[in-house]
Amino acid sequence: MNELILLASFSILGIALVVFAASVVGQRSLVYSALSLGLLGMANAGLFALLGYAFVAVFHLAVYIGAAVIFILFSVTMFREIPDVEVSTKILTVITVPLIALILIYIYLPYLNATFKSQYFIYKEISLLFVTRYWFPLVITGLALVTTLIEGITLARMEVEEDV
Amino acid sequence: MFNYYAFLILASFVFAIGVYGLLNRRNMLRMLLSAEVIFNSVLLFLLTFSALSSSPSTGGVIALLAIGIAATEVGVIVSLAVLMFRLKDTVDVYEISEQKG
Repeated sequence: MNELILLASFSILGIALVVFAASVVGQRSLVYSALSLGLLGMANAGLFALLGYAFVAVFHLAVYIGAAVIFILFSVTMFREIPDVEVSTKILTVITVPLIALILIYIYLPYLNATFKSQYFIYKEISLLFVTRYWFPLVITGLALVTTLIEGITLARMEVEEDV
Repeated sequence: MFNYYAFLILASFVFAIGVYGLLNRRNMLRMLLSAEVIFNSVLLFLLTFSALSSSPSTGGVIALLAIGIAATEVGVIVSLAVLMFRLKDTVDVYEISEQKG
């Protein structure tokens, strides 16, 4: 019964993930594309929770969907819609892309019998890892976020010279 | 019956869709959205492999850092796209690369 619920959840989230990924790439409107990216992130967060990473799922929803995707969504409303110009490599990509998927599936064949087990994390262990082993990447991430904030404000306030 | 391989297959398909979008578009913002699809699939790969590893918490920590950096990257690229649109009136990467200087 438990496995059936797990399988059903995985199927629904997996189908949603592929459909929204195709929607991000295929939508004509940039706004609907950005909206699909948000929904794709939500489906992905569900899969993270299914894997046992509930804290990553919540962080993904809060930071990635709540900040990054909403930022894209509001920004694309400032652009006028530009008609897509198909590039000459389209046929090449149609052949290459299924090949990439098949090669990846083949590479991961050794994991075919890796049985699924639910994970339970001790949050103290994660915070200890941040403070002891990964403190430098944490500082760099914080600095990068602050720099982006300053860069965003600078670019938004920049005066564009009019051509005479 | 239900195993980690299913997650890897799913991530592979999403990765391929993202690559298709990235190769077929010229609009800077559309390319960014496709790159974000690839990022999501790679995050799924990372967490699946870390769930398989002997120390699953490490993968979670790296994923948290990666999400933070991705949010930064989105901020930088969207700001650049807005600036390009104001300066050159286009976000077509081919046109922008032709207008050097």
